Amino acid sequence: MTESVRFTLNHDDVEVHVQDATTTLLDVLRNKLGLEGTKTGCEIGYCGACTVIVDGDAVPACLQMVGLLEGREVTTVEGLETPDGLDPVQDAFIRCAGMQCGFCTPGHVMAIRALLDEDPDPSEQRIKDTVDGNYCRCTGYVKILDSAREAVELQKAATLAGAEGIHS
Amino acid sequence: MTTTATRPAEPTSKQEIFPSLIGTSVDRIDGAEKVSGKASYAADTRLPRMLFGAVLRSPHANARIRSIDTSRARRLPGVHAVITGEDTAGIKWGVFRPDLYPLAIGRVRYVGDEVAAVAAIDIETARRATELIDVEYEILPAVLSMDEALAEGAPLVHDDALGNIAHQVNFERGSVDEWFDKSDVVVEGTWETQRQWHAAIETIGCTADWAQDRVTLYVNTQTPFLARQRYAGALGLEMRNVRVVQTEVGGGFGGKSGDDNTSVICAILAKKAGRPVQVINTREEEFLATHPRPGMRYWVKLGFTSSGLVTAKDIRVLADNGAYTAKALAVMAAASVRHDALFKYRAVRANSRLVYTNLVPTGAFRGFGNPAADWAVGQSWDLAAERLGIEAPELFLLNAVEAGSVSPHNHKINSCELKQCITKATEIFDWYGKRANPKPNRGIAMGCSIHVAGRRSFGDYDGSSAMVRLTDDGRATVITGEAEIGTGARTVFAQITASVLGLAMSDVTVTRPDTDVQSHVLGSFGSRTTYVAGNAVKRAAEDALKQLLDAAAVQVDRPASELWVENGVVHGLARSTTEPPIEVPVGAVVRAELYRHDGLSIVGLGNWDNPSEFPDHSLFGNESGAYTFVVEATEVEIDPETGAVTVIELVAVADCGTVLIPKLAQGQVEGALAQGLGFALTERFDWKDGAPTHPNFVDYKLPTAGMMPKITVAFADSYEPTGPFGAKGVGEIALDPVPAIISSAIADATGVRVRNMPITAEKVFWGIQEIAAEKTNGTEQTTAEQTMAEQTGDHR
Repeated sequence: MTESVRFTLNHDDVEVHVQDATTTLLDVLRNKLGLEGTKTGCEIGYCGACTVIVDGDAVPACLQMVGLLEGREVTTVEGLETPDGLDPVQDAFIRCAGMQCGFCTPGHVMAIRALLDEDPDPSEQRIKDTVDGNYCRCTGYVKILDSAREAVELQKAATLAGAEGIHS
Repeated sequence: MTTTATRPAEPTSKQEIFPSLIGTSVDRIDGAEKVSGKASYAADTRLPRMLFGAVLRSPHANARIRSIDTSRARRLPGVHAVITGEDTAGIKWGVFRPDLYPLAIGRVRYVGDEVAAVAAIDIETARRATELIDVEYEILPAVLSMDEALAEGAPLVHDDALGNIAHQVNFERGSVDEWFDKSDVVVEGTWETQRQWHAAIETIGCTADWAQDRVTLYVNTQTPFLARQRYAGALGLEMRNVRVVQTEVGGGFGGKSGDDNTSVICAILAKKAGRPVQVINTREEEFLATHPRPGMRYWVKLGFTSSGLVTAKDIRVLADNGAYTAKALAVMAAASVRHDALFKYRAVRANSRLVYTNLVPTGAFRGFGNPAADWAVGQSWDLAAERLGIEAPELFLLNAVEAGSVSPHNHKINSCELKQCITKATEIFDWYGKRANPKPNRGIAMGCSIHVAGRRSFGDYDGSSAMVRLTDDGRATVITGEAEIGTGARTVFAQITASVLGLAMSDVTVTRPDTDVQSHVLGSFGSRTTYVAGNAVKRAAEDALKQLLDAAAVQVDRPASELWVENGVVHGLARSTTEPPIEVPVGAVVRAELYRHDGLSIVGLGNWDNPSEFPDHSLFGNESGAYTFVVEATEVEIDPETGAVTVIELVAVADCGTVLIPKLAQGQVEGALAQGLGFALTERFDWKDGAPTHPNFVDYKLPTAGMMPKITVAFADSYEPTGPFGAKGVGEIALDPVPAIISSAIADATGVRVRNMPITAEKVFWGIQEIAAEKTNGTEQTTAEQTMAEQTGDHR
């Protein structure tokens, strides 16, 4: 018996059909929807490589059952880029060399994106706590933390420029 | 940062006088694709009709296979192929000592050994099918530690390795015993390290696709050309029948250097299924059946004069090979020999044994043998400093090698800023300030290490080659089989090319390795890419530049020596005040050269060979053309109630020659420090019956952001005359001293000397208790140290 689940994915309405409501979002994204930016690291919700945003929260897609997504809003790394360019968090990772092999990067980007959505001016401790939730084996985290701080600044600048654009 | 007095005063070509990107923190050329999720890793390969493979592994550490019945698995709907050892060519393979079948034949030798494999329409079906394969085992007694393997009458892991010895290294250079007799201070002790897994966040994987008698393997390998050679051998194919295409690599660290069966099994499955097959290791498989760093037991004895000059070094090393031989053989060799090029030893001796056990096979990991050597020898130097009453930085300065030094093994030290690193680390860390103001429960320590920049390891070759093609739209394409594994190698190649050719970074693209496209090269290991491949790329770019300027010279009727390229435009000064200066876009020159009758495309060729020697069987020989150095210092704090260790600060000063791209070089050091921290403090398993009880990230804890101390990374002002723009490598070295200096700092704080990695709160706690008890009993502290050495711990 297949189940159908409807939710919002990267601002589009989608309906997916799965054999089993416990199928993971990670499986659906990678193997049914062709969204391979979300990475498989451990499949037990530990490493953070598959982090996506569900209703504003950063969650590991490997533990997110698709059956529980009805009516909810999901954003993956593919949903960040706009025709105007990359998200400030993504720009910050490039500027600060926040990635090496890049495999954990989409997960880190999504975790920091969720943080900034909730708190555009997070404390140093909140930044560190957020990055602490995702593994990276390459960087030693120094430049990921730099990237997170840079993202805050880039987003502030973009917000300011946007506001000025409206007024002018 | 990029210039020193040793740099050639005269530019070798007119091009060199123009502003260069060298030494600037250019952005990675692959940054945008990585942050956007577009980079395509092994598991992202998608081919039409592709099946998914799963592997059945041995649950026993040592067993005879009586029978395998695959009929139930084959009947499962969705299954397209089931293979066992009978479907393989039955060839044992391995880089140094071929002893591994692609799938077990008659015998399994560790928990995780590959027994059978399935290809099916999806991964769930493939995994379910592996559970339907019935294997009848006859369980045999296993050797689950080096001690068991070396015991009298121990069962043999391989019948042709008597005493379970897979390899030996023995040498004596100079008269070690005579120098010990002349020594005033002698320190000795035994130190143990455990297996460390690469734990790259991307696991090992492959997609195999056959066309007639030829297979293409899309692999996340560090070494595409060497992998092709080995996989072809394992498959019983000619090398020409195997093509390897590198996918994006989600972290290497030595773990993806072509010693594992995954790609071989994948190819056999695809052949049998008649369809492309993808096999991706699960995290559990990555822990059970890849090639972690070998654990070592390392006895070392050092002699010094009373003034602190080192005399002799004697070591006896046992290294845990596991059940099959990958690169642990060379890892043990490096652990035996390389440290002897760091200080001015008068005589050195080593007797090292590589021991087969019925445990997960071991292999290459960042730092190679150096971390195990540093854990033992580095701590011994710390003990010596204490015994001699000389501060560690002073003792290091007294004995450090320098440019022109030649080690007992003929390491010829070229550029060397080890002493500068010691001085700089002492200053940045404020060693003497911290000494003068000791804080309760805090301790400090310093350590040094040396690494190669490339090594002649796989035959008498450590060269590289590249092509730089100029396009008629004014860009350059770097065509090389050298491999990006995350370190930024392709960005370094682009930077070198852009600098030589006067192009913008955005005008340079770099191909990915495909064994059908580029020349044979060795790939990413041994901290060789920047130094060896960078030189080849630089030569190719210089050749392309020469061709470009020669073509332009004919086109504008001026001597090539009066032309140069800047910002993508060929320039020449005006011949007279009435003429405009020459300004022709690079693309226009390339097009005109092609469009003239009998015209030519512009493709520069570059080859470069590491100016090194192939070491002999006793490891004598200048293994690399350049050596890199690091000096690190740390401060730790101990909770005396629990023994918990907090690393407060890490300072690392590296000599890697010219720093080509500071932010990427810093990233290499920072990442290596983190892996050193994990190795020292958190990365371990509980073991039962020859396997980790829970082979996953919950048990095997990698360092997280919250665990990182204050980190300061600096570089020596250094220039390597043989390096590209003066650069050497920096990929591995910063990991090496970390565990040793943390342990020495703990000893500085508490008197407890931990000899078995990893350092745990428990070990420190009991050490503190014993010292307290002995103080009460009036015995000496050294007893506590000996007790710690005898303490049984995690030996793997």
